[in-house]
Parts: sequence; structure tokens; C-alpha cells
Amino acid sequence: MNTSVRQVQGRVPVAVLGVQGDLDASNYQDLIATATEVYGAGTKDILLDLTNTSFVSSSGLVAIHSIAILAQGEPLPEQDAGWGALRAIRQGLGTGVQEHVKLLSPQPKVVSTLEKTGMVEFFEIHTDLDTAVASF
Amino acid sequence: MDLQLGQAAIDDMILAVDESATNVIVHGYQGRPSSIEIEVAREGDSLVVRIRDRAPPFDPTTHPPPDLTLPLEQRRYGGLGIHLTRECTDAMLYRATPDGANELTLLRKAY
Repeated sequence: MNTSVRQVQGRVPVAVLGVQGDLDASNYQDLIATATEVYGAGTKDILLDLTNTSFVSSSGLVAIHSIAILAQGEPLPEQDAGWGALRAIRQGLGTGVQEHVKLLSPQPKVVSTLEKTGMVEFFEIHTDLDTAVASF
Repeated sequence: MDLQLGQAAIDDMILAVDESATNVIVHGYQGRPSSIEIEVAREGDSLVVRIRDRAPPFDPTTHPPPDLTLPLEQRRYGGLGIHLTRECTDAMLYRATPDGANELTLLRKAY
């Protein structure tokens, strides 16, 4: 997997993270690290460009999930807590579609993976970059 | 070998095998160098994949399903691999082989 990062200015600055190749157990932490860097540098809105993402496994979903939580300003769980790390239930938190992380042009089989896990409900999916950036 | 498979069957089974093998590597072998045997066949109308490993005994078919009704903020990270395997296949069968290996059989219609 290769990741690209570019900043696009809409109403707000948006970091477009392009994910090329397979997003799986071998590299999902790299994507989280990239997003963490971007967020730490000050960009609070992230568009995951999945146009060239050929495959997303459950590990890839962990990355997308983590990035969404990160973009809410929350810390990520300890990496050494393992895959079973439970997040404390937070009361009074807004739920539903994520405001600060959106998806661009996922391929049908990636959409299928999002649908099979119910994750599709949490993310706006756009098919046009300009529309996606303007939506933040 | 041409198994005459539909693309949907191929995509689903690739995901199911990836999830299953990853679980063996990460949770079964816990990253230790080991081997996994994967056998692929067409049996009638089905694509059949058998995955064998020598990690400690684990039957993924008894793993409870995740709660997909939870909002994102309340979901645990991960834990979707077995669920995806179930969703991508028509059947998931486990047995412990006589020589002590785990054997997971995944079936999916070939078209």
C-alpha cells in the first residue's frame, strides 16, 4: 500500500489521504500513523481517497475506524492493548455519520465490506473530489 | 486450473481467506514463524477452501457475532474478521483433525 497526502482548500482545509493498493493487516497501522501525523499538524478534516484501494480487510476497517475517532479529537487506544482493545463507552457523544472523515470513490467490493460490517452508515461516500471537499 | 468462478465469488473468498489466515497468524500463532496450508477446490457448484494450521485449538464458528447496532464510538476496534468470513461465505465449518491441527472449511457458491 502507498499513501499520498495532499491538502485541498474548501470552506476548510481538507487533507486528502490517497490509499493505493490493499489496506490490510500488514499496513493498516501505517495509515493510522499517517492520519495521526496529518491531524497533529493541524488539519482536522480528512478525506480518505479510496479510488485506488483495491482491497480493505477488517484491519483496514480498524484504520478507518481509528481515523474517525482521531478526527473527533479522541486519543487512540494503546497499540499494545491488542486488537481486542475496548473503548470506554462515552455518554452524550454524538453518533451517526462522521463529520470530519469522509470517503471518496470506494470500489464496489470495498463498499461491500463496509456494508457487511455496518460501517457504511458512519461515513459519507462521495464520488467527486470537489463535492467531497465542499461537504466539510 | 480454471475453477470457472464468478468475480463475486472470487472477491468474497479472497476476503474470507485473508481474514481467516490473518486471525491464525495474529491470534493463533501470535506472529511466530509457522505454516498455514490452504487447499482450493471446486466441488459441484461450490468453491471450497480448506485452511489448516497448527496453532492452539480454536473454533471460529463459535465466536459470537459483533453488535453492529452500536454507534461507531461504542464499537470495539477490530473483531470483525470472523463476521466478515461468515458474511462472505455460504458455510464455515471447523474441525480438529486427528493429528491435532485446526481445519477451517469455507464454502461459497461459485457464481
